[in-house]
Amino acid sequence: MIGRPSPILERGVAATSAPLAVFSLYLLFAGHNQPGGGFAGGLVGGVALALVWAAGGTTMIKRLIPFRSTVVIGTGLLIAAATGVASLIVGLDFLESGFVEIAVPLVGKVKFVSPLLFDIGVYLVVLGMSLGLIRALGEEDDLPPIGDEDET
Amino acid sequence: MLGPASTAVWAGINAGSILDGDPVRETLSWVPSLGLEIDLLIDQYALLFLLVVGVAGTAIFLHAAKYFSSTTKVATFAGTMTLFAGAMVGLVSADHLLALFVFWELTTITSYLLIGYDDENPQARSAALNAALVTGGGGLAMLGGLVLLAEESGSYLISEIIASPPSATGLVTLAWVLVLIGAITKSAQFPFHGWLPGAMAAPTPASAFLHSATMVKAGIFLVGRLSPAAVASTEWWKPVVLTLGFATMVVGGWQALRQYDLKLLLAYGTVSQLGFMFLLIGSGSEALLYGGLALLSAHALFKASLFMTVGTIDHEAGTRDLRRLTGLRLNTPAVFWAGLLAGLSMAAVPLTFGFAAKEAAFDALVKDSTWLIAAAAAASALTAVYTGRFLVGAFGGHHEGHEPAGHEARTPRNALLWSPLILAGAGVAFGIHPPLLGPLVDGATAAISAVEEAGKLVLWPGFVPALAWSLASLTIGGLLVWRWHIVEATTTAVARLSDRIPTADETFKASVSGLLRFADRASGSLQNGSLPFYLGVISLVAVLVPASAVIAVGTAAPPSLPTGGVLEILLGIVVIGAAAGLIFTRSRFAAVILLGAVGFGVAGFYAVLGGPDLSLTQLLVETLVVALFALVLRHLPARFQRRTTARAPRAVVAALVGVFVFAGGLLTAGTGETPAVSDYYLEESVPTAAGQNVVNVILVDFRGFDTLGEITVLATAMLGAAGLVVPIIRRRRSASS
Repeated sequence: MIGRPSPILERGVAATSAPLAVFSLYLLFAGHNQPGGGFAGGLVGGVALALVWAAGGTTMIKRLIPFRSTVVIGTGLLIAAATGVASLIVGLDFLESGFVEIAVPLVGKVKFVSPLLFDIGVYLVVLGMSLGLIRALGEEDDLPPIGDEDET
Repeated sequence: MLGPASTAVWAGINAGSILDGDPVRETLSWVPSLGLEIDLLIDQYALLFLLVVGVAGTAIFLHAAKYFSSTTKVATFAGTMTLFAGAMVGLVSADHLLALFVFWELTTITSYLLIGYDDENPQARSAALNAALVTGGGGLAMLGGLVLLAEESGSYLISEIIASPPSATGLVTLAWVLVLIGAITKSAQFPFHGWLPGAMAAPTPASAFLHSATMVKAGIFLVGRLSPAAVASTEWWKPVVLTLGFATMVVGGWQALRQYDLKLLLAYGTVSQLGFMFLLIGSGSEALLYGGLALLSAHALFKASLFMTVGTIDHEAGTRDLRRLTGLRLNTPAVFWAGLLAGLSMAAVPLTFGFAAKEAAFDALVKDSTWLIAAAAAASALTAVYTGRFLVGAFGGHHEGHEPAGHEARTPRNALLWSPLILAGAGVAFGIHPPLLGPLVDGATAAISAVEEAGKLVLWPGFVPALAWSLASLTIGGLLVWRWHIVEATTTAVARLSDRIPTADETFKASVSGLLRFADRASGSLQNGSLPFYLGVISLVAVLVPASAVIAVGTAAPPSLPTGGVLEILLGIVVIGAAAGLIFTRSRFAAVILLGAVGFGVAGFYAVLGGPDLSLTQLLVETLVVALFALVLRHLPARFQRRTTARAPRAVVAALVGVFVFAGGLLTAGTGETPAVSDYYLEESVPTAAGQNVVNVILVDFRGFDTLGEITVLATAMLGAAGLVVPIIRRRRSASS
């Protein structure tokens, strides 16, 4: 948290963080055909987390995402690697991709591409990385800056 | 446990067809364009080793499950042990030399992790490092030898090298020497045997598996596998192998007599037995090979059983010091029987499989030369002596002046008892009816030497010279155990002399610490803690090396510079202005903002030049970086302090880097047309990958494997950064409170 708790900042962040989260998910899913992708989505998520930190500190981040950052990163890596191994199991090469077209009622034809799963893994890793960095660097303390101590 | 068990089951199922002469061959394609494949060949020889790994492994894993109390990190231990077992399976199945090397080094790494399992213990850590350095160094030498061998004989496949071994040239001799070094480091032969007793710092199940049943046998496996080619290529192979093996046998047996720790006694005993196996299996003679392989099987059974017995004793009585142990024969009779049966097999007493195996070996040695059989008999006497010492020490009474232990010991009713007991029992069962294992050993020998029936495993060999030698050595051994004070006096007397000579181990450790001191001094002068210094050195090298190459070779003329549009010129002004401001500002906060401005400007360039994905990512990264900088800025003073380093050199280096990057970009931009691969990606993006965003398709589909590596790097970077920052903050917080 930067300085004293500020209601303006809190309201503002509450208003923007939810749309940012949705936007990050949108970037993830739209990435294959529009600009975006797992990296961009994860980064937007990270930016949203930075905003949340500014408003509520690490306590608010902990309330939003109660997992350790290593858990998130590990899950992402697991999903990404599992996608590759799944291709092996089906008999293709590691990480060889495929896609199916499903007719969804009321929406039309939806193309589902296997790299989407990989992208979800990437998303989680980037999100977890941002989470970990913000948590580590954002630890609250009321200590004076480092240089000032040395100059006394 | 599933790992070794499934190996044993697979081996058992396929044993029939493999022994009939139909080996399993498989080739896994790794990087087909480079011709890198993993060739596997499981013939009768590999089958024997597979069964050893599988059976011993299953028993030991079950034992280990009960050995550990509910302490932490058992999951890590189990995982590492399974990984090790897998590496060993791969090692014996490999036909491609490089695949063998990869598995070889995997066993080195897992052994390091297992020996250093108790990482709070500095002794365990140093033993693990010692083992890793010796076996790893040997492995490196071996790699050189293997590559030389493959190049000289024209093939990387072991089966092909054996079919047509290379003729003796200087390079080939060097190759065989290097391969031999690899084998003797891994199998703890003299003079590289020092790491094995140190490795006893590992938990007993790990010692039982790695340092008795499997890993140390890898070197023996290799010399056995390659010995036909080696003997054909050189004349010195057989004498050298025999000498090294005997030296190891004697040194190991001798040192075993001086030990008080049961586990160390077994360790030195293993060194001695490995020496015997090494000379038998690596010598190139098929009769010796037969005896050696039989001995290897017997050894796996009784050694694993003995180590597990020691583990059980340790678990129940709390100590492994044979001077203190007492009453175990009465308190834990079943454990006593397991130890006794296994010990009898180790000493090669008649009716055990150890006896049958050793008879086969002696039979071959008798036919070879009298010197050999005499030396082998003497070494076997040593074995009998230290086995007796083990049994008497573990299950007898305690020595005067040492606090007795073992009164509370009770026979456990689980795998702590069953695993060693079953293996020991198998040792006796196979001893009473050896032909059960006959086809296995026979097939293994035939696979290497192409000779059927090179030896026989029998219960009673008849009145042959070999029997006389073994009975003589057993008698002498028994007498010495009975009159232990003779042994004690001799060992003390010799020790007074031999302890003055530095062992190979001590020399090795001294050279390692010398190397570390030198490295300290070198690092101290180059890494002086000054960030401008590091950046300056890196930048200068990065500029001067390629620049000198370009100047020497010359380049094509740079293309003409297109003039930019209004937007690009404006963005250029923003970027340059921000960079200039960054140099001259005194406020940290302003510096961060200006850095962000540079990044945003570059993102703008990407957008204008037609790369929306790139621009988006750049914008987001820049935003996040500025946010993270703000987090860090809280801990730093608001203004930059007076500089301690001179300005002029830094300006020069910066200018050089700027000019070089600009010129480099200009010169390389004009060199070619669009590379073929981007044309391919652009064409194939929609039809094969069903995606219209080529950049994303490349990231997650075409080059998905690279991305997998990149996200791993991200994870590691985050862990590193967080790991560096958090302790500092916490320390400051606790210091001020």
